[in-house]
Amino acid sequence: MIEKGKISASQMGIMMYPTIVATALLWIPEATATKAGRDMWISPILASLAGFLTVYVAVRLNKMYPKETIIQYSEHIVGRILGKCIGFVYLLFFLQLEWIVMREYGEVMVGQFLPRTPLIVILGSMLLICAFAVRGGLEVLGRAAQFFVPLFILVFGAITLLLVPDLEPENMLPVLEKGILPAILGAVEPLKWFGEFIVISFMLPFLTDRERGMTWGMITVIATMVTMAVINLVVLWLFGEITTSLTYPLVEAVRYISMGDFLEHIESLVMTIWVAGTFVKIAVIYYVLALGTAQWLNLADYRPVVFPIGMLLIVTCIWPTPNLADLAVYLKIIAPIIGIFIQTLLPLLLLIIAVIRKQVANGGRAMQKG
Amino acid sequence: MLDRKWFRKSKLLHHRQPSTSQQDTLTTDFQENLRVLRSLYTNCSDVIFRPFLIGGKKKAVIVYIEGLSNIEEIDRSVLGPLMDDAGGAETTVRAIFEKKVTAAKVKEVKTFADCIEQISSGNPVLLFEQENRGLSLGLAKWEKRSVEEPVAESVLRGPREGFTETMTVNTSLLRRKIHSPQLKILSLKVGRYSRTQVMIVYIEGLADKTLIDEVKNRLQRIDMDGVLESGYIEEMIEDNPLSPFPQVINTERPDVVVANLLEGRVAILLDGPPSALIVPATMFSLLQAAEDYYQRFMIGTAIRWLRYMFFIISLLLPSLYVAAITFHQEMVPTTLLISMARSREEIPFPALVEALFMEATFEALREAGARLPKQVGAAVSIVGSLIIGQAAVTAGIASSPLVMVVSITGIASFSVPRYSAGIALRLLRFPMMFLAGILGLLGVMLGIIAIVVHLCTLRSFGVPYLTPMAPLIPRDIKYVLIRLPWWKMNTRPRLTGDENKHRQAPGQKPGPTRGTE
Repeated sequence: MIEKGKISASQMGIMMYPTIVATALLWIPEATATKAGRDMWISPILASLAGFLTVYVAVRLNKMYPKETIIQYSEHIVGRILGKCIGFVYLLFFLQLEWIVMREYGEVMVGQFLPRTPLIVILGSMLLICAFAVRGGLEVLGRAAQFFVPLFILVFGAITLLLVPDLEPENMLPVLEKGILPAILGAVEPLKWFGEFIVISFMLPFLTDRERGMTWGMITVIATMVTMAVINLVVLWLFGEITTSLTYPLVEAVRYISMGDFLEHIESLVMTIWVAGTFVKIAVIYYVLALGTAQWLNLADYRPVVFPIGMLLIVTCIWPTPNLADLAVYLKIIAPIIGIFIQTLLPLLLLIIAVIRKQVANGGRAMQKG
Repeated sequence: MLDRKWFRKSKLLHHRQPSTSQQDTLTTDFQENLRVLRSLYTNCSDVIFRPFLIGGKKKAVIVYIEGLSNIEEIDRSVLGPLMDDAGGAETTVRAIFEKKVTAAKVKEVKTFADCIEQISSGNPVLLFEQENRGLSLGLAKWEKRSVEEPVAESVLRGPREGFTETMTVNTSLLRRKIHSPQLKILSLKVGRYSRTQVMIVYIEGLADKTLIDEVKNRLQRIDMDGVLESGYIEEMIEDNPLSPFPQVINTERPDVVVANLLEGRVAILLDGPPSALIVPATMFSLLQAAEDYYQRFMIGTAIRWLRYMFFIISLLLPSLYVAAITFHQEMVPTTLLISMARSREEIPFPALVEALFMEATFEALREAGARLPKQVGAAVSIVGSLIIGQAAVTAGIASSPLVMVVSITGIASFSVPRYSAGIALRLLRFPMMFLAGILGLLGVMLGIIAIVVHLCTLRSFGVPYLTPMAPLIPRDIKYVLIRLPWWKMNTRPRLTGDENKHRQAPGQKPGPTRGTE
């Protein structure tokens, strides 16, 4: 096997949490608020259904092909040529996902904190560190996540607590004023984030305790759902109707924190911690991309492709969209559609085909026996 | 291919060079034995050959090194009784060994290599006419330092003895603390010329067998001229030699060694340096001091947290200062910002240059203070306090907040109990300052991520460096977060093996009613 390290199911969960939440924290509040308005907190809960489905599908597929990732077993399920095509689609998809995440990170950094620093410096420095982490293997990523995620949760929990004096819960009333439809529309964009749980199909083969993969996958989905709903609620209670006009409502919320003239303007500090979470996200998807490429090409090791993929990523981060507005359009219109099809529906289709094939094979054997 | 072959061959040749004919066994030809020994010790004026006759008949010679052996004892318990032997001379080695020599520790030697080893370690060797074996007598005695309080690791409460330069003293210090015969001490020789004695110490049943074998293997692989300090061994047995972080614990305190042995670790003692190496090391084991376990547990926990905090401060404070001054002025509370701006008004340098300059000066002073003789040291500290102090501020070279930052960083780095862990951060502080100067807080965070990723890849003898935090071991994380009271420290931290995990009987919390029901 290409990856020699082993991780535990809890490490997988801890890695997946920032992989979903890190960018969602900044983008989800505004995106859901535009469509769902006051009911923006319901949208992540609805969207999480996609998360549960994706985890279920990934774990079921892993049970049938325990030592393989989706790149490998798609060949077994739909045949070599079609399987390679699906694998290629996944590689392109993860490339797309990675540049979106990188670009989101870069735009936040340039837009909010380092306006005069070139985008390429910010992206390049992060990619370099991620490349080293990815070369370290899955074990290293798992350990790094275990180091940073508690810090991440602690800081964002503290923000929520510090904002409590300014919250006005009546902002959320009336609930479901225009029926459930706006909340459902608002759930479209978070689907992309919950679909990213397909990444676990690249981690499940390397678990030491595979039977707990489902448990920890589900726990992580619930944790991300709760986090998104809570952040949406906090933003809603704090800003009410004006949430839609803010680019990053959470950053504005952090700017709002002021405790006794001492603890204020801490947004740089909070964003620094956010960078740690984003690092885990970027590194995990980078790892998936590198491992997937190596498996798709039947290489013996994925480490040689890490730096070439990094070069490719730098280019693809800058090239597809010229600015933040274009990125937002892409994120709102194209990414969710691609996301739901490739991350959730395609694995589901693979699972259905696999189950049918297995039953046909079993039936055939039963008939031979009979 | 050819190159490699040639290289291997030359390596072998090099290895063989210093040990000419040492593997040969002693012969029955007395003169020949003597000739070989004399030729091995040509131009060694400190080696004494003292020929004599046993009971006036049988020829014998005693060989020893001046200053390494106890001459009075040689006179009294060897030369005296043997030469005095008026009656029927004892002829066999065994008889002499059993009846005549009164020294307590006597060992038979059969090869020249044995002879040399014994003579070099101070044990006189007796050779006889018509015998193909000799006797080595445990009469080594040389000038040694007495057991003193360890200088680098002092405690307020706890044993005040430290290792010395003499191996036998060091092992006795350990043996006195653990009386059980489960305490095993294996001996090895390392160094082509120095032939330094290295001891592997562990407690059978606690230390994992694979760990012991691994330590033995790595020590046996060492092939170097001489070993003068445990640092030589440390660098030769590390998992990742290209890391600023120490992967081996280094201590002068026997009680620290014993505490670690009881946790299933393995200690390596060297003849020479007054310190022991302990493996495997983890980040958190380097941040623990012996005294955490001797003081009351609440204080121990509080001090431990203080230490964690200052460990981070010693890495980050200067770079946070640079980042805040250069990029994130809004983070600093307004009143403080005003006073900082006022004091920085006259400084010609950017914050990064200012901080680098002051930190480098501080490091230089520290180094000078450590190397200089004590009498000059006082002068250095006076000059130092002037440079990193008011004078620098008045001269307009550094601002007073920076002076604060540098001194707090200095104090913070002294609060790390293991010197080797502290200097790793001392080194990393400078690249962090550069990152802060280039990218602000983002740079600092990228630096932290890089360091954490590096720590995550590190292993010390197979144990991940950040155990038990990453990978998280729920059973052991409590030992890191708090110093548990002794009556609660029931399990042993898990390292490589997991046999014998209970350290003591559970439920020993004392109280007035305990044991009376």
